[in-house]
Amino acid sequence: MSTDSKPAGSIGVAMKRKEDPRFIQGKGHYVDDITMPSMLYMALVRSPYPHAEITSIDATEALKVPGVKAVITGKDLDAAGLGWLPTFHGQDKQMVLAIGKVLFQYQEVAAVFAETRAGAADGAEAVEVEYTPLPVVADPFTAKTDTVILRPDREIKSNHIFHWEVGDKEATARALATSATRISQRMWFQRCHPAPLEPCGCVAHFDTMGRLQFHVTSQAPHVYRTALSLVTGIPEDKIHVISPDIGGGFGNKVPVYPGYVCAIVGALKLGRPVKWIETRTENLTSTGFARDYHIDVEIGATADGKVTALRVATVADHGAFDAAADPRGFPAGMFGIVTGSYDFPAAHAEVDGYFTNKAPGGIAYRCSFRVTEASFAIERGMDILADELGIDPVELRRKNFVRRDQFPYPSPLGFTYDSGDYHKTLDVALEKIGYQALLKEQAEKRARGELMGIGISTFTEVVGAGPSKQFNILGIKMFDSAEIRIHPTGAGIVRAGTKSQGQGHETTWAQIVAEELGLDPQNIMVEEGDTDTAPYGLGTYASRSTPVAGAAIAMAARRIREKARKVAAHLLEVGEADVEWTDYTFQVKGVPARRVTMKEVAFAAYTNMAQNEPGLEATYYYDPPNMTFPYGTYIAVVDVDRDTGEVKVRRFLAVDDCGTIINPVIVEGQIHGGLTEGFAIAFMQEIQYDSEGNNLTTNFTDYLLPTSLETPHWDTAKTTTPSPHHPIGAKGVGESPNVGSPAAFVNAVIDALSPLGVRHIDMPLTRDKVWRAIQAAEAKKASA
Amino acid sequence: MNLQYSGEEAIAAGTETVWAFVTDAGKVGHCFPDLIEVTVQDPTHVEAVVRVGVGPVRGKFKLKVELLPDAERRRIDMKISGGGFGSAVDLTAGADVVDAGAGRTLLKWGGQAVARGPVATVGGRVLDAQAKKLIEQAFANVRQTLSAAVS
Repeated sequence: MSTDSKPAGSIGVAMKRKEDPRFIQGKGHYVDDITMPSMLYMALVRSPYPHAEITSIDATEALKVPGVKAVITGKDLDAAGLGWLPTFHGQDKQMVLAIGKVLFQYQEVAAVFAETRAGAADGAEAVEVEYTPLPVVADPFTAKTDTVILRPDREIKSNHIFHWEVGDKEATARALATSATRISQRMWFQRCHPAPLEPCGCVAHFDTMGRLQFHVTSQAPHVYRTALSLVTGIPEDKIHVISPDIGGGFGNKVPVYPGYVCAIVGALKLGRPVKWIETRTENLTSTGFARDYHIDVEIGATADGKVTALRVATVADHGAFDAAADPRGFPAGMFGIVTGSYDFPAAHAEVDGYFTNKAPGGIAYRCSFRVTEASFAIERGMDILADELGIDPVELRRKNFVRRDQFPYPSPLGFTYDSGDYHKTLDVALEKIGYQALLKEQAEKRARGELMGIGISTFTEVVGAGPSKQFNILGIKMFDSAEIRIHPTGAGIVRAGTKSQGQGHETTWAQIVAEELGLDPQNIMVEEGDTDTAPYGLGTYASRSTPVAGAAIAMAARRIREKARKVAAHLLEVGEADVEWTDYTFQVKGVPARRVTMKEVAFAAYTNMAQNEPGLEATYYYDPPNMTFPYGTYIAVVDVDRDTGEVKVRRFLAVDDCGTIINPVIVEGQIHGGLTEGFAIAFMQEIQYDSEGNNLTTNFTDYLLPTSLETPHWDTAKTTTPSPHHPIGAKGVGESPNVGSPAAFVNAVIDALSPLGVRHIDMPLTRDKVWRAIQAAEAKKASA
Repeated sequence: MNLQYSGEEAIAAGTETVWAFVTDAGKVGHCFPDLIEVTVQDPTHVEAVVRVGVGPVRGKFKLKVELLPDAERRRIDMKISGGGFGSAVDLTAGADVVDAGAGRTLLKWGGQAVARGPVATVGGRVLDAQAKKLIEQAFANVRQTLSAAVS
C-alpha cells in the first residue's frame, strides 16, 4: 500500500508564481534576446502622410548606405503575390507594404535590410519616397459622407464597412416610446492603445532544411502558423512558430502585422536570418489600437425606475483597414453584452463601422471583443438614468439586476448568462466600502461646496470564446487544447495552445493538473508557444485561457486519471470498478486505508503496468458549450479640486466574481493590473489625431502610462459563483478590471460634478477637461 | 499640423533689384537657414538640403522649391515640399513686392505650412515657434543679402 504522504489540493492555493524568479532576475528570454549567426536587421520606411498617392520610391541612396543589403517595396511584394494580408475575421485585407497609395500616417511603405540595426535605420532614412497628398478623412462622421472614398480597391465604393445589429428593433422602439422616463446620451470611448512594455518583433530564419523558424511576439502562435502559410504559400509543416517570453500583450500581439511578412520575405530573399523589432513610436502608431466607438445610448424606464428598454447605436472608427481581430461574423465582437447585469424586457444594438485615415485595429487592450465599450455604455447610461429619476444609482441597479433565480439567463441580445448573484456581490461591496457612511460624508462636503463623488459599476463580462458552432478565426473554430505527460517519478509536463504574456500560466496550469491528479504543482512543467510541440490552440486573449484551455487541461488530466485507475486497480489487486478517486488518491471503495497515490501509479505505469498500455499521457481539445460571464461591483470615491480640475481617486474597491479561483495571488495581480489600465484609460490615455490625420501621441511623453506615483491604492474582495459548465467552475478574470473600472471612475467624477449640473464628460478625464466642464457649468449657472 | 505666418521686411533697394533677387532660384535657395546644399534645377526650380532641429527631432530635410512669379512683377509665390527622417512638410508662401519710396522696398510676406510625421508630433510643442523663427530668418536673409549687395 501507499507509503507516500497524503497529497493536498492545489486549486485556490496562493502559490507563488513559478515563472517569477526568472523574470525578477532578468532571465526572461524575449524575441530581442535572440541572435543568430549572420543575422540581418530590418527597418521599415513609414509614411508621414495619412493619405497620399505614392509618386515614386527611389532606393538608390539607401542601397549605398554601408551594410544595406536590400530594399523591398509594395510593388515587389505584389508581384510575388504577397501584397495583401487577410485580416483575422476574413472580411477585409490589409496592405503589407503600401501599393499605390498610403492610407494612414506611419503606414509601412518599404523594408530595408542591413547588417546592423543602425544601418537598417540609416537605410530607411535614405529611401526617397515622393507623395502627392490626398484629402484626409480623420473621423468616421466625415467618412460617412463618402465624399472621399478611401478604399477604391474594394468592390463597394463606400467608406462604410459593415452594419451589425442584434435585438428586437420594433419592440424596443415601442417600449421607449411609451416609457415614462427616457434618457439619451452620446458618449465616445476614445481611441487608446495597450502599449505593452515590449513592442512587437520577430526573427525569421529558414533553416538548412528550408523550414521557416519564426520567433515572434505572438499571443496566438498556431493561428500565426496557419495565417503565414495562407499568406506566403509556405506549407504549414514547413513553418515553426516559437513565441518565447512576452512582455505584455493585451491584444496588441494577436494580429499578424506587415513587418512579420516583410521579415520572412527578407530572410527568404537574402538567405539569412532577419530580425525586426518595433520602436515605441511604431508600436503606438501602427499596431492594434483599442475602442474608438461613438455610442448613442437610450434607456427607457418606469417612473419608479424599472427599466423598459435599451437602444444603442454606435459609429465605429476602424481606421484604414478592417483589421479588428474579431471572430468571423462578429464585426462588433461581443458588443451584444451591452444590456449588462440588467433585465431589459426589450433591447436593440447596432454598430456601423467606417474606414478613416488612421491606423487599423480596434479590439485590443484587455477588452474581450468590444465588451469594454458595451460595459461602459450601459454603466454610464444607468447612472444618467438614476440622475434623471433622482434615484440612488445603487438602488436603481439593485432594482433592475438579473436575479439569481433567472440563471441561466437568456439576454434580449442573444447571450445565455451562465451564473451569477449580482445582489450578493453588490451587498459585499457596499458593506466593505461603507457606502452609507460615504453618502453621509458626501452630503456634508456638498454642504461646504466641496466636490466629492462616488461612482459605481456593476458590470457583467462575456469571455471564453467560444463554442465552435458560433466562433472562428480565419475559419478555425475557437476551441483550445492541452497535452499532459506524467513521467515515471510523478513529475509531468503540460503543453497548451495558449501563450502567457504575464498571466502566470506556468503556475495556474500546473495547479489545475496537480489538483486533478494529486501531484505536486512544483513538479509540473508548463510549456506554451511552440507550434512543434504544443497541440493546436487559438491562443491567449479575450480572457479565454482559463475558460477554454484551463478546461482542456482539466479534461486531459481526467483522461489520465481514468487510465491511471486501471493501473491503480492492478496495484491494489482489485477490479477497476472497486477503485475510487478520493482525497487525491486512488482508494479501494469502503477501505480508505488501501490506497495508492498518483505518484505511485505513475511509476507503475512505466514499470509495473500489467496488461495496461504503458505510459501516462493524454490530449484534450475542449470546445466550450457556452461562454462564461464573470462580473463584479466596483466602487470609486473621488475628490475633485474645483479650482484646478484635478481628480484624486481616494478609494477604489473591486469585488470580482470570476467563478472558481485557481490562484488568489495571480487573480489579485490580474485585477491590480487591469484596474491600473482602466485608471489610465479613464484619466490619461487617448491616441489623438489632428484634423490632418497626424498622430499626436507617438511616444510616452504624449501617451501616458501611470506610474506608482499616480496609481491609486486598490482594495479587492470576491464572491464565488462557479460557472456550471466549466470543468472546475472558473470563468476568467484577466479583462474584468479593465472592462468594469472606466465607468466607475467616470461615474464618480460626474457624481462629484453633478451639483453643478454636469451630466457627462468624455474620457480621458484630464484635469483641463474637468476644469473646463466646471467653468462651463458655473458660467451657465451664473447666467441663468 | 497647420501653421500660418506673416511678416514684412524693409529692404534698402529698389523694387526692380528686389524682384530680380526673389525670382532667382539660386539666390532664393541660398537664403534658407541652416543650408547644407543647394542645387538649381532651372530658373524656377531649386532643391535645397537643410538642417532641421525641432525639439528632440533632428536631421536633414530635402526640400523642393518652385518659384511662381506673377506677370505684373509684383508678387512672387513659392511652393515648398519635402521632408526627411519620416517627416514631411508642405509650405506655400507668397510675398508682395511693394515700392516704399526713396529707393526702398517692402517685402510683405505670408505663408502656411502643413507638417506631418515626427517633426509635427514629437516636435509639436515647439514646432510653431521654431518654424516661425526659420521663416522669419529666411526673409531676413533676403533683406540682409540684398542690403549688403546694394551698399
